[in-house]
Amino acid sequence: MLLKKLFRTLWQYKAQFISMVIMVALGVGVFLGFNVEWYSLEVNTNEIYEATGFADFRIYSDKGFSPEDLEAVRAMDGVEDATRFLSLNVSVKDDTDTLALTISENMQVSGIMVMEGEPYNAEDPDGFWLSDSYAKANGIALGDQLTLTYQVISVTGTVKGLVKSSEYLICLPDTNQMMPDYSTYGFVYISPVMLDRAIPALYKALIGSLYHQINVRSSLDKPAFVEAADKALGTTRLILSKDETVSWSEAQGEVNEGKTMASILPVLFLAIAILTMVTTMHRICASEKTQIGTLKALGFKDRRILIHYSAYALIIGLLGTILGIGIGYGLGWFIMNPDGAMATYIDVPSWTLYAPAFSWFVIIGINAFLAFIGFLSVRKMLQGTAADALRPYSPKRMKHLRFEETRRFKQLGFGTKWNLRDCVRHKARSLMTLFGIIGCMVLLVGGLGMKDTMDAFLDVFYEKAINYTTRINLDEENTTPEEGKALAESLNGDWSASRAVQIGDKGYTLEIHSTLHDKVRFADTDMKIIPLDDSGVYLCSRIARDYHLKAGDELTFSPYDSNEHYTVPVAGVLDSMTEGIFMTNTFAEKAGIPYQVSSVYTDSAEIPDNPHILNRQSKQSIMDSFNVFMDLMNKMIWLLVIAAVILGIVVLYNLGVMSYTERYREMATLKVVGFRDSKIGRLLISQNLWLTVLGILIGIPAGIGVLQYLLTALASEYELKLVLGLPTWLISILLTFGVSLMVGLMVARKNRHIDMVAALKTAE
Amino acid sequence: MAIVEFQNVSRVYRNGDHEQRALDHVNLSLEEGKFIVILGPSGAGKSTLLNMLGGLDSPTEGTIIVNGKDISTLTPNELAEYRAASVGFVFQSYNLIPTLTVIENVALVKEIAPNPLSSHDMLKAVGLEDHIHQFPSELSGGEQQRVSIARALAKNPHILLCDEPTGALDSETGVMVLKLLLSMARDMGKTIIIVTHNQNIAKMADVIIRVKNGKIKSCEEQDHPLSVEEVDW
Repeated sequence: MLLKKLFRTLWQYKAQFISMVIMVALGVGVFLGFNVEWYSLEVNTNEIYEATGFADFRIYSDKGFSPEDLEAVRAMDGVEDATRFLSLNVSVKDDTDTLALTISENMQVSGIMVMEGEPYNAEDPDGFWLSDSYAKANGIALGDQLTLTYQVISVTGTVKGLVKSSEYLICLPDTNQMMPDYSTYGFVYISPVMLDRAIPALYKALIGSLYHQINVRSSLDKPAFVEAADKALGTTRLILSKDETVSWSEAQGEVNEGKTMASILPVLFLAIAILTMVTTMHRICASEKTQIGTLKALGFKDRRILIHYSAYALIIGLLGTILGIGIGYGLGWFIMNPDGAMATYIDVPSWTLYAPAFSWFVIIGINAFLAFIGFLSVRKMLQGTAADALRPYSPKRMKHLRFEETRRFKQLGFGTKWNLRDCVRHKARSLMTLFGIIGCMVLLVGGLGMKDTMDAFLDVFYEKAINYTTRINLDEENTTPEEGKALAESLNGDWSASRAVQIGDKGYTLEIHSTLHDKVRFADTDMKIIPLDDSGVYLCSRIARDYHLKAGDELTFSPYDSNEHYTVPVAGVLDSMTEGIFMTNTFAEKAGIPYQVSSVYTDSAEIPDNPHILNRQSKQSIMDSFNVFMDLMNKMIWLLVIAAVILGIVVLYNLGVMSYTERYREMATLKVVGFRDSKIGRLLISQNLWLTVLGILIGIPAGIGVLQYLLTALASEYELKLVLGLPTWLISILLTFGVSLMVGLMVARKNRHIDMVAALKTAE
Repeated sequence: MAIVEFQNVSRVYRNGDHEQRALDHVNLSLEEGKFIVILGPSGAGKSTLLNMLGGLDSPTEGTIIVNGKDISTLTPNELAEYRAASVGFVFQSYNLIPTLTVIENVALVKEIAPNPLSSHDMLKAVGLEDHIHQFPSELSGGEQQRVSIARALAKNPHILLCDEPTGALDSETGVMVLKLLLSMARDMGKTIIIVTHNQNIAKMADVIIRVKNGKIKSCEEQDHPLSVEEVDW
């Protein structure tokens, strides 16, 4: 019989029941979704790192490594395995595409996972193991013939396998590109035998070893490894740990971003769900008090009544959890699926969804807590004798507020006084309403502000800073600085040189730019485009911050493969995409820093064939790669906006109905006295609107704070400056206001149906 | 002169197939400035009669004329105006706004009534001038009922409708409230209509209306109503 009563009670409080289920579902869904996202990414990337032997360290040499060098590294303590490794950007014949031609002598390190086709054969004379994503984007199938060219060398073979590699987990041609574009760039593995056959003997004799890299699996930390490697190889080499590679750091960055997101947004949703539950359960138990008392008076034991009403909260929790698990996996799948946004960035073989074990414990804990809230709410009503329990719940006695003595308060209209005292009397309800509005505002400011910030970032660093149509990458090893400069001059373009340098023991990029034609521009820390002068070096703001440097200070750095140290004045600090040091060619020459020209920037439409040109990249292709990124972000922002609106509607409606129920008698009295429905409605809405204005005022700085935290946590590598456009202000405020007004009107409409007679007959 | 006229008024409540006739072709005429008591057992229709008169409910058929105006066909907003201007209510359960002080509860009628009286004067008239800044929850039941009467009077209505005004009070406080209501009729010329089970109250009335099964069983005038003190409580 009690079970029947339970379901009827659920039906009686259906508005509260449904809104609580939605709140719990949103809380669990957002919590699980973000945790599924980062954990699935971690598990799926770990799988490919392990399967393909992702290297822990990469040792670089311009001159290449001999088999003896490899043996010396292998012999180091703490080294598990190592391989000589080659990765070289080559052109696809009869196409503008570029492929990273890759050889790992020992495929246990920096190897591949064959997704389709033959297993890798280290003796194969003409087999290509091609990136399956590149093959798919370009309609290439197993058995197809490909010819790759590098300067005068060309190599032809058959696609024998379609593969993935953790070395190209994020497959980018250079640091200017943010997102992979498999239609123009991919990777291909060949056997050392095939390479050996392709290269003429004379060429081999001239350049020595082709393997410019030794990739190492080792559990040593970087300082210990660098010390041991320098000792083993007899000279200082550029050594990058896996943390300094895109395929590790960016993927780990995504995992960490997921963890950050999982620690902010779900907390907001879960906190609101739990607080709403506290308020709602208390109100429901208060209005059920006489029934609770009746059951007690009839002889039901307290324990049975407690279980009965706690079950109400438990049912809400369980239904919300079931829906939330669906939402969570849906959200996880939305981000993490083979055709989804993350797959355009990270190339893993499997997109299986996993939830971290702790998330299930948290979800069980939430359900237990929700039931406990129900338990506490009923226990309060059961206290004392059966006669005590039978007495209807009496709200707190009114007390005078401190500010009531002020003249201003005395001048207020009765409606304002009524609403003010009601807010203070029902603090929990008012605070929850406020919390819901703040949550709505935080999500809107956070989501839309993120878009504004990214738009401003793209506008400065791409639209404005990239003032050329085409970037030409040169074959540095076979191009003298003079040849590079001459090519730039013939195309009315600028050029740049890039060198790896060390500040202390940390590696950075030094970029030397000619700025005559203003093809590449730079932005200061206020994101304003500024010209570089010849008085010193410019630092990106991360380096300036890490080394506490500002304009006028001095910086000492040393190029890799060189014992020279340069101490130069700092001319300014820049916001930059790359973590680097920048200077003009005039300053570089004045300081005596040698360089090779690596890139030319031009607007010229006609670029003649030139043996020094390695590949070309249009501004459009760089911008296109961002569109994918922006699409992903826009989807996330839409999700946030939808979540904000649902959160706002559900919380405000639930509390609005609660407020309406609690003030039903008062409104009936006003109606009897002669107040019109519209006037009573305005009184109800005005309280909502006050709380909305207050919520917006608090929500704006809270939203900005959360956004700043997200920017720092999620995108510190981009030196993003928080930007909030006028539309964001307007949309956030108007949408929050609109949601509040709409819900207020929905609730206010109910007062037309107040049964004055029945309401006033109910005993106090 | 008749201030209230019920002409063939019926009120039928329908719940699915079930039909309940709360008032059945009631005809009634009440004079201004009288102290009128409506008596009847539970479910007889006396509260329905009062609610019709107060504009809380509308008849299914028939006409109700108050002060020469037909209120049976008014829209909800017109009924709200009617309640604001013409009638004051006193309920068994006081129905004060708990978040407003005594004076504010009375003064709130100024927001809607066309000719409100001074809230202070009304509270003085009911003997509560020393409690004006207290909240209802700080007052006794009798005091709360007096606030409710002050609020009803502050609208300066023609008619004061009281539904079991002493039902929740002890007899001593009830007597005080009745005395107050009687003085409103005698001294201020208000028409007071009281719905009650209590036969004793009827002894004070100028007119006694007995209701049974939705019909007016009798409507008798008393030439010599007793004073409050003369009634044996």
